[in-house]
Amino acid sequence: MSEGMSKVYILGGAQTDFERNWKKEGKGMIALLKEAMTDGLEGAELTFDDVKELNQENRVACFVGNFIAEKYVDQGHLGAFLTEVDSAFYGVPSARYEAACASSSVAIDTAATKVRSGDYDVAIVIGWELMKTVETRVGGDYLGRAAYYEREGKGINLPFPKLFGRLADETLMKYPELDEKRYMDALAKISAINYENAKRNPLAQTRKWFMSYRQARTRGTETNPLVGGRLAVSDCSQVTDGAAVVVLCSEKFIAERGIKERPIIKGYGHRTAPLLFEKKMGDNQGSEYILPWTRQTVLDSYRRSGLTVDDIDVFETHDCFTSSEYAAISAFGLTKPGKEYEAVESGLISFTGSKPINPGGGLIGCGHPVGASGARMLLDLYKQVTKTAGEYQVNGARNGIMLNIGGSATTNYVFVIGAEE
Amino acid sequence: MDIRTVTVVGVTGIMGANVAGIFASFGDAKVYCVGRDIEKVKRAIPRIVKSVRADVIAHNLIPADFNNLEQCVADSDFVFESSKEDIRVKSEIATRIGKALKNSAISATGSSGLSITEIAECYPENMRGHFFGVHMFNPPYMLQLCELASTKYSDEEMYAKLKEYLRIKLHRIVVEVRDSPAFLGNRIGFQFINEALQYAEKYKDNGGIDYIDAVIGPFTGRSMPPLATSDFVGLDVHKAIVDNIYANTYDYAHETFVFPDFAQKLVEEGKLGRKSGGGLYRLVEYDNGRRRQNVYDISTGLYRDVIPYIFPFSDKMKRQIEAGDYHKAFEELVDNCSQEAEICLSFLLKYIVYSLYTAEKVGYAMEAADDVMAAGFNWCPPLAMYQAMSYVADVPVLIKKRFPEICQQIDVERYLAEARSSKYDFRVYFKSGG
Repeated sequence: MSEGMSKVYILGGAQTDFERNWKKEGKGMIALLKEAMTDGLEGAELTFDDVKELNQENRVACFVGNFIAEKYVDQGHLGAFLTEVDSAFYGVPSARYEAACASSSVAIDTAATKVRSGDYDVAIVIGWELMKTVETRVGGDYLGRAAYYEREGKGINLPFPKLFGRLADETLMKYPELDEKRYMDALAKISAINYENAKRNPLAQTRKWFMSYRQARTRGTETNPLVGGRLAVSDCSQVTDGAAVVVLCSEKFIAERGIKERPIIKGYGHRTAPLLFEKKMGDNQGSEYILPWTRQTVLDSYRRSGLTVDDIDVFETHDCFTSSEYAAISAFGLTKPGKEYEAVESGLISFTGSKPINPGGGLIGCGHPVGASGARMLLDLYKQVTKTAGEYQVNGARNGIMLNIGGSATTNYVFVIGAEE
Repeated sequence: MDIRTVTVVGVTGIMGANVAGIFASFGDAKVYCVGRDIEKVKRAIPRIVKSVRADVIAHNLIPADFNNLEQCVADSDFVFESSKEDIRVKSEIATRIGKALKNSAISATGSSGLSITEIAECYPENMRGHFFGVHMFNPPYMLQLCELASTKYSDEEMYAKLKEYLRIKLHRIVVEVRDSPAFLGNRIGFQFINEALQYAEKYKDNGGIDYIDAVIGPFTGRSMPPLATSDFVGLDVHKAIVDNIYANTYDYAHETFVFPDFAQKLVEEGKLGRKSGGGLYRLVEYDNGRRRQNVYDISTGLYRDVIPYIFPFSDKMKRQIEAGDYHKAFEELVDNCSQEAEICLSFLLKYIVYSLYTAEKVGYAMEAADDVMAAGFNWCPPLAMYQAMSYVADVPVLIKKRFPEICQQIDVERYLAEARSSKYDFRVYFKSGG
């Protein structure tokens, strides 16, 4: 960040167990928010009484990330619902932020800005989505609203797998020297790595599931049907219920409480690409990158943090589909555009590689409650750089980067976090 | 441990098939699927594939029948026997396996509670050390519990390697247990379930089976009420487990393992449960396609509609759970003086005590009780239950007041004082529906 600006610290947080089906448990939004907030504050070593006390001087605010509760649970005005969690939130400024699957990144960005500006000393970010309230086909239609619904979603069965299937097609067209089999095998490997990583994550949705490279590359079978062009079920992220909380705070709060060894947000990037997939592809003609605005978002975050890809030890990316993780590899700068398969084949991005992506399983392995994913990524980076990631800890992680996208890589959000120098 | 080839004996049974799926998928092993009838074995293959949702394992599954048993065993690094729960059948198969087993190979039985030591003695002396009890729960794809039992003959190095293989490669939650009837999970689980069945008889004039299930339903930390679970497993299996425990163990809860007369009668009539088209419950389909759950009424001996019981305490508990206010839910339970709340609370308290007591006797650590109940039954595990209740009540006092006779027989105070905090999150297990 630029000189003279005050630092934004990450105090901690928590995520819910993404394996849970809240409808089956007979619980809804209120229970989800209560559990997530209780655990999140505990993870940040705060109490409801702290919130109450901070609020007396208007020093705390809440930022709620959620995509489309209006559809999934018939509810809007989501910022106000924290008052149902605990009376400590009476009077606390709170609002909902939305940018499809990047919703909680907007919440994080706003929270960080309010802390940096000195408006608040503590900013609580909670991202959540309950998606298992409806059947797959209906949920898929709801998610179509993250694209240009009238033109890309309405009346189409599962629009998003189709859009990211088209991204796969476009990738092959853009890089004619890229062998199709090599590409599809790289996508299968990406899936297998995410599932494998999820096995080490006690809160991952797929931690008990079976997936192998061989199963992932055998597409079009009964257990791995095609869902969007050349992409199969194994190439998709999950339908997930869940919430993630991260608490940010100011330098003043850190000093006041004598808190030690908390990471800071070192940089961010936020860019919006053309909404329509077709226009997005038309727009990349002059670029080596399939998603030039995604690449630009990463570059912005590197510039703001003063870091390069060489300084980053751990990566969180938005693997809503294997084709989006594939594109992210070059966007991060891990390979040249068109050569992403190299990082997959060499093991560079696997858990034991030197540039691991999604050590906790990502959206494919850990799960994807859409409005929570940005906050979940930030939380996972926090765990990595504070060496509290347990079995999925990446050795020696000092700096981490996350890419959270909304729609078909329309909203692009990147945060770089790390230990203070 | 390098296990590339496995033989599973008894794949036409549900458990054998599902375990074969685990070896072929997570274990990535070639699996000889052995059954008595080759045609039935062939028909089981697609079910095995489906059990782990992966077509890709199909090429790992090789059907075989008992004529090829020795051949399959001789080619295997691991042999898993999942035949009928009958010591004579198992002994006969073990003798055949023992003669053909490679010197470096491991063999195991999936028995849910027969004597592992007795089966081990069917093996040649030099191979007895390679034989273990490996007890998984159904369906193993969803329930990760694996009870591992050794005998006095067991080779320690082999045991350690097997444990590692089950944990790392097959992703099992391995709980080490003694060679004791029904091991740990079923001992605790069926103590609860069988006592619930006895209570159904005791309270038959209040409704019996559905009454008890309504009193200790999903809002008490489980996906399925206990008697619905018995119906799901089958009364014959239930009876075999509790009869085995009753005949071969003795502890303060001995009489709670007596299988009730009315249930004995149902077994004799072939009314075993879901698998036989009816047992404690029965799904009735009407001509218009409507389905309705019926229940066996113990006092009349006839099936009738399930009664949608509403008890004030459970109704309040469910509402608190729905809103994520778990502590308030427990307050409703502890503070309510109705007969139903008293039965409910007693069951949960006895569950905590019996689990801790049995974990010490049959397991090797108190946490074993938590692992078996969470990973084998999907019930709120006992330490987590204790922790959850402790937020609102003095649990040792509640227990002492209600069960002086248990407190006289065992040192309840010590068990509770030594109880450690659970690694499981109790909130997940308490459901508001059902």
